[in-house]
Amino acid sequence: MSAFSAIGEGKEIDRNDYTPGLEPQATWCPGCGDFGVLKALKGAAAELGKSPDEMLLVTGIGCSGKLNSYFESYGFHTIHGRSLPVARAAKLANPGVEVVAAGGDGDGYGIGGNHFMHTARENHNMTYIVFNNEIFGLTKGQTSPTSPKGHKSKTQPHGSAKQPLRPLSMSLNSGASYIARTAAVNPNQAKDIIVEAMEHDGFSHVDFLTQCPTWNKDARQYVPYIDIQDSDDYDFDNTDRREAAEMMHETEDALHEGEVLTGRYYVDSDRPSYQQEKRNIGEMPEEPLAERYFDDSYEWERSYDNFLDKHK
Amino acid sequence: MPADFNWAIGGEAGDGIDSTGKIFAQALSRAGRHVFTSKDFASRIRGGYTAYKVRTSVDQVQSVVDRLDVLIALTPRTIDENLDELHEGSVIVYDGERTTMQGVEIPEGMVGLDVPLQSIAEEKGGAIMRNVVALGAACAVADFPIEHLDSSLEKRFGGKGQAIVDNNKEAARAGRDYVHENYDHEFDYDLETTDNDYVLLNGDEAIGMGALAAGCRFYAGYPITPATDVMEYLTGRIEQYGGHVVQAEDELAAINLALGGARAGARAMTATSGPGIDLMTETFGLIATSETPLVIVDVMRSGPSTGMPTKQEQGDLNQMVYGGHGEIPRFTLAPTTVAECFHKTVEAFNLAEKYQTPVYLASDLAMAVTEQTFAPEEFDMDAVEIDRGKVVDDDTIGEWQNEKEQFKPHALTDDGVSPRSFPGTSGGAHMSTGLEHDELGRRTEDTDMRVEQVDKRNRKVETAQEREPWAYREFGDTDSGNLVISWGSNEGAMVEAIDFLEEEGIDVHFISVPYIFPRPDLSEVIEDADDVIVVECNNTGQFADILEHDALTRVKRVNKYNGVRFKADELAEDIKETLSQEITA
Ligand SMILES: Cc1ncc(C[n+]2csc(CCOP(=O)(O)OP(=O)(O)O)c2C)c(N)n1
Ligand code: SF4
Ligand SMILES: [Mg+2]
Repeated sequence: MSAFSAIGEGKEIDRNDYTPGLEPQATWCPGCGDFGVLKALKGAAAELGKSPDEMLLVTGIGCSGKLNSYFESYGFHTIHGRSLPVARAAKLANPGVEVVAAGGDGDGYGIGGNHFMHTARENHNMTYIVFNNEIFGLTKGQTSPTSPKGHKSKTQPHGSAKQPLRPLSMSLNSGASYIARTAAVNPNQAKDIIVEAMEHDGFSHVDFLTQCPTWNKDARQYVPYIDIQDSDDYDFDNTDRREAAEMMHETEDALHEGEVLTGRYYVDSDRPSYQQEKRNIGEMPEEPLAERYFDDSYEWERSYDNFLDKHK
Repeated sequence: MPADFNWAIGGEAGDGIDSTGKIFAQALSRAGRHVFTSKDFASRIRGGYTAYKVRTSVDQVQSVVDRLDVLIALTPRTIDENLDELHEGSVIVYDGERTTMQGVEIPEGMVGLDVPLQSIAEEKGGAIMRNVVALGAACAVADFPIEHLDSSLEKRFGGKGQAIVDNNKEAARAGRDYVHENYDHEFDYDLETTDNDYVLLNGDEAIGMGALAAGCRFYAGYPITPATDVMEYLTGRIEQYGGHVVQAEDELAAINLALGGARAGARAMTATSGPGIDLMTETFGLIATSETPLVIVDVMRSGPSTGMPTKQEQGDLNQMVYGGHGEIPRFTLAPTTVAECFHKTVEAFNLAEKYQTPVYLASDLAMAVTEQTFAPEEFDMDAVEIDRGKVVDDDTIGEWQNEKEQFKPHALTDDGVSPRSFPGTSGGAHMSTGLEHDELGRRTEDTDMRVEQVDKRNRKVETAQEREPWAYREFGDTDSGNLVISWGSNEGAMVEAIDFLEEEGIDVHFISVPYIFPRPDLSEVIEDADDVIVVECNNTGQFADILEHDALTRVKRVNKYNGVRFKADELAEDIKETLSQEITA
């Protein structure tokens, strides 16, 4: 008896298979960048042949958090800021499942910021997509951690006095091993980046620029964008931490001057994931732990000797 | 009364008090004596008074008492701190050569044994063994055969090589010999030994052991006194069973990790104390609405805020029963003894999975720091049953799909319990969310579906109330009109208190309650009693409030929870109808 036959089944998948039977129409505002993430994710998952039954999409709260309502797979809509610990634990318990977490800039860089730092530091093997619209969308347009200095909103009527957070730099410093930025207006690059992120063995962070035409008109539409890998103006080695750091810094500054730089900023394929590190020191089972419960021949191995030795 | 013997070693934190006490406790348990230990300590690692106390008897001991027979005092303060417990004839072992102990006064009527602990230890190989010399001296006083210390010493020092073990054995013997040679006092103690071999463990360890026995394979936690031992017990053990322990960045992460593990298919648990429970409460409602089984252990300590981190209190009961916004179905279990920590943990996992509900396990500092002996048979592993409830696999998933082959994680059933499928199961893909949802897990604000889902979640608790025993434990004279009720760790002290009261001609009927929610219906026993006393380690009597609430039958209720406010005409109608109804409990 098994409960995990969908894992690695290698079914032929069409991108429409991710459109849920119920609520197929996303209710984001017309022109919202969030549609771009949904489209890119469907494309990426189809390209990798991941069936809805072997994917887990964990989201936070925000307009962005509605993503899994429109994406057919195992979905868990958590609470504000907490998608990462849920997602990374699910991957530990059931490693054959493709785990993707997603949420807003407020959700991931603000209220959930500590989890972001630590999930990156620990290099859990999963993908994290942050819908960065530089605003709190769902709660109607308040300043977010990535809103630029001077950004006016109902909560900061005189303009934000705070420097925006630098998501890419923070990710690098925290320890993520795959870091990219893409934009909703760049669907092909977005899909390719999500494919790479999902394939990467370690924590992949995608800062996804998603315009919010309803509440953040200032942010324009993130056009025109430049792909730093395609452009001759930028030549850097994204496997080199120092060069990556400089490129990230430049990109974060440029955004607020109206220049939208995107691409792959840092790729470290050598660093072992949390799972691997733990396996190396004997603290991670070889056999997926969720599966053992369905193994009929599995003995619960309850022996005094193991439980009580220390107490004698 | 058991013929008990009460022993303690006290000094500065960092003096090795704990490990010395433990060596003695282990030696006693191996010699077939029952042991109950307790600790006095300040929450500093070095500096500050600390003591390790051992109560022992050939019969089971379940509590501490205010009486000390032998005290090893490494500092003058140790004597001061224990004056109330020392009595006429108590023996105080101390090292008069130690600067701080010079000229120390032994209170009237007590016996001071001045043993040059440090000098003897140095002679035998190192000053560090002075506590072991003291143990030897104590063995002489208690007439406890020194050979029984040997296996504990081997266990404690074995890793450091045979030479060290041998030195320690000799140091202990030298301490004993010094007393024999220099004091011809007749001591009244004679620690009888038996052939029994007991296990010695504390409440946290019993919880860890229960978790492993129950098939818990995923644990996430953030260190906090007095819950850390649960994590430390599981670490290094759970891996042997194919499980994993995660040390989280904070308690917000810890509970969400445990939640993620549970949703992905594991039996999962987290443990913390009050300050951590506050943080975890954020996620509590999500666990319940998403109908995820999870065991959350609260090893309570004195609050509020950072309170007294190393002191006992049962102050979190309201938090566990009522904590979290909105209305959250849950179970709250409160083991009443160290052994029960094992059994209730197993039960907590089965309840969590059978009813897909978060379960609080309320333990406390008193149980966490107490090491107690038990016959190994108390922990009958073969009797442990694992019931994962309505988990579907590839074969059974079809029973729970609609006509469009969509899985129904929140199916409306008679007993309220829906099926569960884990990521990776074919045909089981579904949404789940902290938002109100329909049977498929899709968010909804439909007023009827809202009511149906709230009712369904509560129905699980009603079903559990009917199906599970929710039994309480009874002691003393069940016919007595003097009813005493307590919950959690007070049981041991109360059971022995019954004997003290009996000596004074007072009989009591004692009910020890291990279930806070749902709980046994005590209204009749309470009604029948002349006097009812609720014993608990807190200021306001939180459980007493709950029992009084249960006994109250005057109030009828009008409730509305479909998301729409009361409307005047509708409310008038409801009132009219309710006025004509009989009161239901
Ligand atoms: C604990 C908590 N605090 C506040 C909220 C209200 N809230 C919901 S979403 C949100 C911020 C949304 O911003 P972001 O994360 O950037 O997501 P977006 O809507 O822009 O996609 C807030 C403050 C909440 N749901 N939970
Ligand atoms: S408010 Fe902004 S982020 Fe939210 S759906 Fe509308 S456009 Fe998108
Ligand atoms: Mg946002």
